[in-house]
Amino acid sequence: MAGMAQTNTIDGASGFAVAPGRAPDRYFKYWLIAPAILLLLAIGLFPLIYSLIVSFQRVTMLDEDYSFAGLVNYAQLFRDARLWQSLLHTAIITAIALPLELILGLLMAQLFLERLPGRQIFVSLLVLPTVISPIVAGATWRLMFDNRYGPINQILGWFAGKPVAALWTVNPDLVYLGIILCEIWQWTPFMFLILLAALSNVDKSLTDAAEIDGAGYWRTFFKIVLPAIWPVMAIAILIRGLDLVRIFDIIWALTMGGPGTMTETISVYTYVQGFQQFETSYTAAMAFLVIVLLTVIVTWAIRRMGLAK
Amino acid sequence: MTIDRPLLRRPAVALSLRYAAAIALTLFFVFPVYWLFIISFKTPEEIFAFPPAWYPKSLQFANYAVLFRDGDAVTVWNSLVLAGASTVIAMVLGTMAAYSLVRFKTGGENLAVWIISQRMMPPIAIVFPIFLAYVWLGKFGGFAWVDSYHGLIVLYTAFSLPYVIWMMRGYIEDIPLELEESALVDGCTRWQVLWRVVFPMARTGLFATSVFTFVFAWNDFLFAFVLTRTEVITYTVQVTHYFGGQSNFWAKIAAMSVLGTVPVFFTVATLQRFLVRGISMGAVKG
Amino acid sequence: MSKGAMADLKISGLHKRYGSVHAVRGIDLEIPAGEFTVLVGPSGCGKSTLLRTIAGLEEADAGTIEIGGRVVNYVRPRDRDIAMVFQNYALYPYMNVYENIAFGLRARKTPAAEIDQRVRRAADMLAISGLLERLPRQLSGGQRQRVAIGRAIVRNARLFLFDEPLSNLDAQLRDEMRSEIKRLHQEIGTTMIYVTHDQIEAMTLADRIVLLRDGQIEQQGSPLTLFERPATRFVAGFLGSPKMNFVPVRLVESAGGVSLELEGNQGLALPAGSRTRYAACLGREMILGIRPEHMARARDGGPSNGHVRLETTVELIQPTGSRTYITFPLGGTSVMAEVDPHEVQKPGEPIAIDLDLNRAVLIDPLTSRVI
Repeated sequence: MAGMAQTNTIDGASGFAVAPGRAPDRYFKYWLIAPAILLLLAIGLFPLIYSLIVSFQRVTMLDEDYSFAGLVNYAQLFRDARLWQSLLHTAIITAIALPLELILGLLMAQLFLERLPGRQIFVSLLVLPTVISPIVAGATWRLMFDNRYGPINQILGWFAGKPVAALWTVNPDLVYLGIILCEIWQWTPFMFLILLAALSNVDKSLTDAAEIDGAGYWRTFFKIVLPAIWPVMAIAILIRGLDLVRIFDIIWALTMGGPGTMTETISVYTYVQGFQQFETSYTAAMAFLVIVLLTVIVTWAIRRMGLAK
Repeated sequence: MTIDRPLLRRPAVALSLRYAAAIALTLFFVFPVYWLFIISFKTPEEIFAFPPAWYPKSLQFANYAVLFRDGDAVTVWNSLVLAGASTVIAMVLGTMAAYSLVRFKTGGENLAVWIISQRMMPPIAIVFPIFLAYVWLGKFGGFAWVDSYHGLIVLYTAFSLPYVIWMMRGYIEDIPLELEESALVDGCTRWQVLWRVVFPMARTGLFATSVFTFVFAWNDFLFAFVLTRTEVITYTVQVTHYFGGQSNFWAKIAAMSVLGTVPVFFTVATLQRFLVRGISMGAVKG
Repeated sequence: MSKGAMADLKISGLHKRYGSVHAVRGIDLEIPAGEFTVLVGPSGCGKSTLLRTIAGLEEADAGTIEIGGRVVNYVRPRDRDIAMVFQNYALYPYMNVYENIAFGLRARKTPAAEIDQRVRRAADMLAISGLLERLPRQLSGGQRQRVAIGRAIVRNARLFLFDEPLSNLDAQLRDEMRSEIKRLHQEIGTTMIYVTHDQIEAMTLADRIVLLRDGQIEQQGSPLTLFERPATRFVAGFLGSPKMNFVPVRLVESAGGVSLELEGNQGLALPAGSRTRYAACLGREMILGIRPEHMARARDGGPSNGHVRLETTVELIQPTGSRTYITFPLGGTSVMAEVDPHEVQKPGEPIAIDLDLNRAVLIDPLTSRVI
């Protein structure tokens, strides 16, 4: 390669040489990143600060009282039983759906790991649920779950031998099942794709060696394969877990948080407070609480999973 | 000499079992989509048939015609504008930012971490402050931010930026430094290096990432739901207009959903080779 | 080779295809217990495929594999009582050295005390006792290879398979490890099958060499047999470093017997008794094969029996320290001879070379077989 002219400074550890004395270049990197940062600050930071301020006031849509009210909204949060209920609902859905998606995704990835003629076609079809809008997925299952005209009850009726009248979106015993079913239907393929890629990258000679050493299927899986795919799996769990905690669209399409407030998750409750009860300041405080909560959970999860960030 | 072969080790048996499982799984994941599609092509009698009709006698396009006639179909156009504009902007700004992060380590690890953490923000917690800010801007700025194109475009762009930056970081790292250095030696300015060398080399990454970014904005419901009223309605919000407490406008729900879903199916189907790599790259390199 | 001992490994009519590539075409092989067999050949000859099929990592398309008299075609690798050392070591990255070696024993539910004893004994044998707590990524290439070997020997398997284990090591380490492996075989005496493309490894390690080419066995036998009595041109050219020289000649009658006619009208008289040996090929074009070490600078006095003296000029000189290799023209091509380091000074020098035609071979160009 031709000798690099005037390269006696190195900018940063990347080794990208910077020619000294060309001042405009020095700010190039800032110009590059400035628009993005500005946008992120504008959307990420300023509204946050603004709403933090509002959370210390007593503003509602009807009565705009901007006087400083201290922590009264936050105190109210802790007394709000409905809030804690919504957190509980969120936790239940996450705790059930996440492991199911993971295990099912893993099984599917294992199924398609080895050569299978026509695998491409299967995979393209299996991915369909993930690219649909979550609200459309919810709408689809809303139609499927219809008591009289939906196919679900019809199919159940075949197995039961007599007509089944299950009110999936209203019956308290069934609503969680319905929501979780729709959620798993939509997002297992996502897990499946990621895990398939990760499993394909496992060094085959390791599993060969384990096979010869005498390890059975499970031992090989837990001691050799799992540690190898763990980094990828951890990220997938983090992403899906986060999405589950923030779940809104599917719930809105199926039950709108009902019956009553039985399936109200934290996102739904926040929405209700802000746009149905119009408790602006209270909602601002709640939104802030949610952000703090999520940041704590994410930091804990990242550390716990050993993803040194 | 005949050799005994255990049943499960015969390739034919193992393969058949796998195919059976694959078909069962595919049925489970595809059936609801199928159901949605055929409802949109059914006549009202077929939709409300009991027991349900498993396939329509013929494909009726009447339900779609209604959407176009009533002007509801324009919501698909709105979605296209919003998703398209925000994707383009996010890709440009995001790739530039990613380049700055990778090649110049701007802001060090802390900046990179902060950017990624923005993705973790829960939409509901973000949309409410944004709503308040937009209302305030509307009062003091002179023109409306709520229920506007620019309002949503700005929001979608900002929300997509962390993802774009994260993904493009990986793709840019894959480009050999020597290519850029030799362009510099050849006399290119930094900007020229960016446009002539980096962007072309990162095509696959740009492609895959922009598809994901587009799909995310296209499929969004919550942001559009909160920030629009009557002027700018996306197809996702429009679908929920057909929900009813007692009865739903089934045909319209299905037809509108299909209208909004088919473009995505089409895009994903044609590009799926790149996309699998796109997902796994993001995950592996993260 | 112990006659009468039951063959430990017997392969009959083995075939293996990958799509359109016919990697193994009909191999028959019998290996007695305790023997060190080297499968050697150029890349693509099917040696690795053959090894993996023996191990059970690949399934044969036709033919049988018997280990210890038992047909194992459909037996899982873990039940074939074999151990294997891989080219890239294949150490389990998330376990330390102790756990790596103990893995196979744990899988077979060996009691912990026995595991400990066997692991430590294997570690001692390979001089890696101090590394038991380390992770693979903290080890050098040579150390990793020892751990891989340790993992294999600790299970007391009946058959050891080595898949080019030294290819990833640098030259010096390779020499060291070669001796280690040879010593290992002397100590524990297990039947070993070793795959390599390196003919030096093959020569130094093997009790028996199986030379493969295009999926078939070209020749098999003891190293010296293949070296001194190659069956085909391929075998003759494969073993020995530097390679055997090949010169096109014509076999003609001459006073007192037969001789070789070379381009440029040179004549080389063959040793007495050659006439009967080569009678069928009189008058034909042949190929002469003669090794560099079977040529030497002419000494005082005439050429010995069966030797031929040539006057020629030195083209190229390549010293290696202990020996020097010179190149000179012969019969239209250049050939290499081995001489003492101080016998030549510079290129262009005239020199007299004695060729030992007793040790040379004649090859039929049509069949490539050695006569």
